[in-house]
Amino acid sequence: MSTPLVELRNMSISFGGIKAVDDVSIDLFPGEVVGLLGHNGAGKSTLIKILSGAYRRDRGHIFINGEEAHISNPRDAKNFGIETIYQTLALADNVDAAANLYLGRELRTRWGTLDDAAMEAEARKVMGRLNPNFKRFKEPAKSLSGGQRQSVAIARAVLFNAKILIMDEPTAALGPQETQMVAELIHELKRQGLGIFLIDHDIHAVKALCDRAAVMKNGQLVGVVKVDDVTEDDLLGMIILGKQPDKAA
Amino acid sequence: MSKQGVSNAAPESRDSLLKRFIAATEIDTRMLGMVAALFAVWCAFDIYSGILRPNTGLFGGAFLTPRNLWTLLVQTSSIAVMSTGMVLIIVMRHIDLSIGSMLSLVAVAGAVLQVFILGPSIGVGHPVIWIAAILACLALGTFIGALNGFLTAYAQIPAFIVTLGGLIAYSGVAFLLAKGVTVAPMDKTFKIIGGGVPASWLGPFWSWALAIVVCVLIFLGIVGGRRQRQRFGFKLRPVWGEATLIAIGSAAVLGATAVLTSYPWPFGLIKQYAEENNIPIPAGVENPDGDAICMVGEKVVRCTEGLIYYTGFAVPVLIALGVGVVMTFIATRTRFGRYVYAIGGNPEAADLAGIDTKKMTVKVFALMGFLVGISAVIASARLDAATNALGQLNELFVIAAAVIGGTSLAGGIGTIYGAILGALMMQSIQSGMALLNLPAAFQNIVVGTVLVFAVYVDQFYRRRVK
Amino acid sequence: MRKTLTLAALLAASVSNYALAEGKTIAVSWKTFQEERWKTDEAAIKSAVEAAGNTYISTDAQGSAQKQAADIEGLISQKPDVILVVAFDSDAILPSIQAISNAGIKSIAYDVQFEDPNALYITFDNVGVGRIIAEEIQKVKPEGNYAFIKGDKGDPNATFLFQGMMEVLKDGLDSGKIVNVCETFTDGWKPDNAQKNMEQCLTSTDNKVDAVLSENDGMASGVVAALEAQGMAGIPVGGQDGDLAAINRVALGTQTVSVWKNATDLGVTAAAAAIALADGVAMDQIEGVGKFSGGKNGVEMNSILLAPTPITKSNIDVAISAGHISKEQACAGVAAGTVAACD
Repeated sequence: MSTPLVELRNMSISFGGIKAVDDVSIDLFPGEVVGLLGHNGAGKSTLIKILSGAYRRDRGHIFINGEEAHISNPRDAKNFGIETIYQTLALADNVDAAANLYLGRELRTRWGTLDDAAMEAEARKVMGRLNPNFKRFKEPAKSLSGGQRQSVAIARAVLFNAKILIMDEPTAALGPQETQMVAELIHELKRQGLGIFLIDHDIHAVKALCDRAAVMKNGQLVGVVKVDDVTEDDLLGMIILGKQPDKAA
Repeated sequence: MSKQGVSNAAPESRDSLLKRFIAATEIDTRMLGMVAALFAVWCAFDIYSGILRPNTGLFGGAFLTPRNLWTLLVQTSSIAVMSTGMVLIIVMRHIDLSIGSMLSLVAVAGAVLQVFILGPSIGVGHPVIWIAAILACLALGTFIGALNGFLTAYAQIPAFIVTLGGLIAYSGVAFLLAKGVTVAPMDKTFKIIGGGVPASWLGPFWSWALAIVVCVLIFLGIVGGRRQRQRFGFKLRPVWGEATLIAIGSAAVLGATAVLTSYPWPFGLIKQYAEENNIPIPAGVENPDGDAICMVGEKVVRCTEGLIYYTGFAVPVLIALGVGVVMTFIATRTRFGRYVYAIGGNPEAADLAGIDTKKMTVKVFALMGFLVGISAVIASARLDAATNALGQLNELFVIAAAVIGGTSLAGGIGTIYGAILGALMMQSIQSGMALLNLPAAFQNIVVGTVLVFAVYVDQFYRRRVK
Repeated sequence: MRKTLTLAALLAASVSNYALAEGKTIAVSWKTFQEERWKTDEAAIKSAVEAAGNTYISTDAQGSAQKQAADIEGLISQKPDVILVVAFDSDAILPSIQAISNAGIKSIAYDVQFEDPNALYITFDNVGVGRIIAEEIQKVKPEGNYAFIKGDKGDPNATFLFQGMMEVLKDGLDSGKIVNVCETFTDGWKPDNAQKNMEQCLTSTDNKVDAVLSENDGMASGVVAALEAQGMAGIPVGGQDGDLAAINRVALGTQTVSVWKNATDLGVTAAAAAIALADGVAMDQIEGVGKFSGGKNGVEMNSILLAPTPITKSNIDVAISAGHISKEQACAGVAAGTVAACD
């Protein structure tokens, strides 16, 4: 564990005088899942949106593989291999799965036109790996179920060889079976050496899926702990009281 | 859900022929419905006008005659061109109310340039004039469109407000430009674009040549698509389905060509042409219902044999069809089009996917402006004049055409061919009622009712498909 | 007769008719200068007033009835002898007109009627315009199939014009010499709509149209474009407004007549009447004054109704010499020897 995959150093951003993220530093290593915990409005999603280029930070530095990275929009983030799966399931409802997978990075023929057939073929390949039951390639995204949409969103990240994956409550809208499917996916991706930031409310899920957990409150970092070293109650205490448990260093 | 796994290779035998046909050809059933409705309207007008005043139409009326259909297409072209751009605007969840005033402004500016500025300075009829006028119209339209888009995207004023302001302001500019007078006449070559002079009619030879080229392209397109699907091992349409598609497409093209090439030049123009070119007018027997003209003694009359020319496709119709093809290509085969639809489907998702939605907004409005430029050229060339009244309220017809054609005002949904069919539907109703000499108030009532009814039917259809 | 009088002749007439006292003030409350024509009116009135040694003052209501009321108050306080009013709103203006009378000032309703019996109403004979169009067309085509392209259905002028036409054509229509083959209103008086309506008219009659009466020149441009596309340009077409493009069409022979309301005529007449009123001439003693009660409430007013000028191939020079159109514009594309005024 030499250089971290991602290092966020002294990140700050404020909206209209309110410090949404206040001097937060956090890191992520390859093959590691770091959970981000905290109340609504604690600053988890805001922090992560800075990394994914959706927000521009006021202060702070981002290092990817030890080198400073300049990220000011979603395209920059993608160029660094950062893929984000948003809580709001950012799919365009009116176009099909393949079009969503490649949105913003369409494959083109040598004439410069869209190569829909090639995109569909790739989509079939990657979805075949992730969710073999998925067959609805020709239908607009709005006719897909929550789990199907989530698998499209995850496939999008996998397809472009993400190194760093940000998942914002990936199981929030899903049933138990689909949640299990996503959990397996996360394990698979971890095994492949991706670094994953997982934002979740569900402490149980964080305990089960993550290696470390970072807790935020009121825009500030309460602490980062190894999940195996703490109990769920410890984590709960950090979230509610904003205090480090005694045994964690 | 349960149907997903079923192999579609052999359609179930109990399905009706129509269902199997639609499944095999993957034809948009909505489009079939619109075409059917259009034909129904045409037949109704033909039958009704035949009762009032018998003519040579399919059902004895004046509507389904080559002449009326030819005129109908020319009348539709200006609105049809703009409606293709409006589809993309509405798909992106915007609206452009300013296009009517923009058309006035662009048309008047183009006319002022050719009549008041270039005509007197380099001589009326100089070939530079029509080229400069067209380029000026296209450039000005694009610029104004981009301005609308810029204000919408970067100043973050809702498009409704920006273009409502434009609707009011641009017509004022048009008025000032020409000081309120009608600017006329247009350059002789410029007029060709309007379709009102023989030089803008393709004639049978070139019309058929074009039709055959288009048929070959349809064939190549479908075969190419099939190869592409084969390459990736996707499910293929049955061969008979592909063959039917080629047959239908070609039949439509050849049928339209046959109708348009059977509309002869108007009597007066043949006579003018013959006199100007020293073509002897053949002698013949008087027959006022014939198509050609010949001589009876000293008198020039119509007859069934003799001097006759046929019109074929008119330039504005070709322009509209060309715009339709190009816009369909842009909407479905390019990144630009894909982004327009994605933004309409979920602007936030598009933004997060790294699409520059602001730049896209400017581009789409600029494209709309460019199309308004084309329409301004067509409309002023056709009228052989430009005034600040030209184009006024066109925005309503263009939006209505797009909506009748299935464009959803909620964004994300709409097709180019639908809008063109919508424009044709609107114009058919107006022309048909003018043909019947119905009062203008009645025409307005019917057009308004059709608009609302079409949207109702469309929503009903969408709910059922779901 | 008056229609051929030029500005100079009118001035001379006004000077000779009344013993002029100089130093009077004539005021005008304009409703707007948004339309080009009012500038022509103003130039005529101003020069006529000043040529007679009087003072011209004016205000511009900029298309607002409220501002016009304030304008008139301001004018009254300057104590002019006569106020000409181009009313923006012919009902809302009435209290202001009353105020003018109360201040002992004479008022003239210029071109736009308001129904106040104390005011003198000066305008063109609007019903006459339709009559003149029909007369001129009937002169060249006494019998045949007539098409009528009417203006917007919401504009009462469209109906007045049509009434005027019908007065003239009634006998011909009754006897069957003239057949009304198409008659359509045109949304918004728009030329492109007129073109479409004319195209449908030609389709439905199989081109059996012998003359077209269009209610204005803008629509006539659409009519002529539709006729040209059928090789029929040259059949009698009538319009009104004296549009520059229409006068050119008259010279080219594609339009028969454009009835022109010469704003200069109207301005000069009004100026002369205003000066006479200022000099104390009784309203009904002014030259050309008659009674008019054709307004919507039927109030009888003293009025001067000017006959508009039909411009045909034979008198295009009238519009040219009045400065309404340049010879180059009127004669653009006209073959030598076809129109006297262009040679």
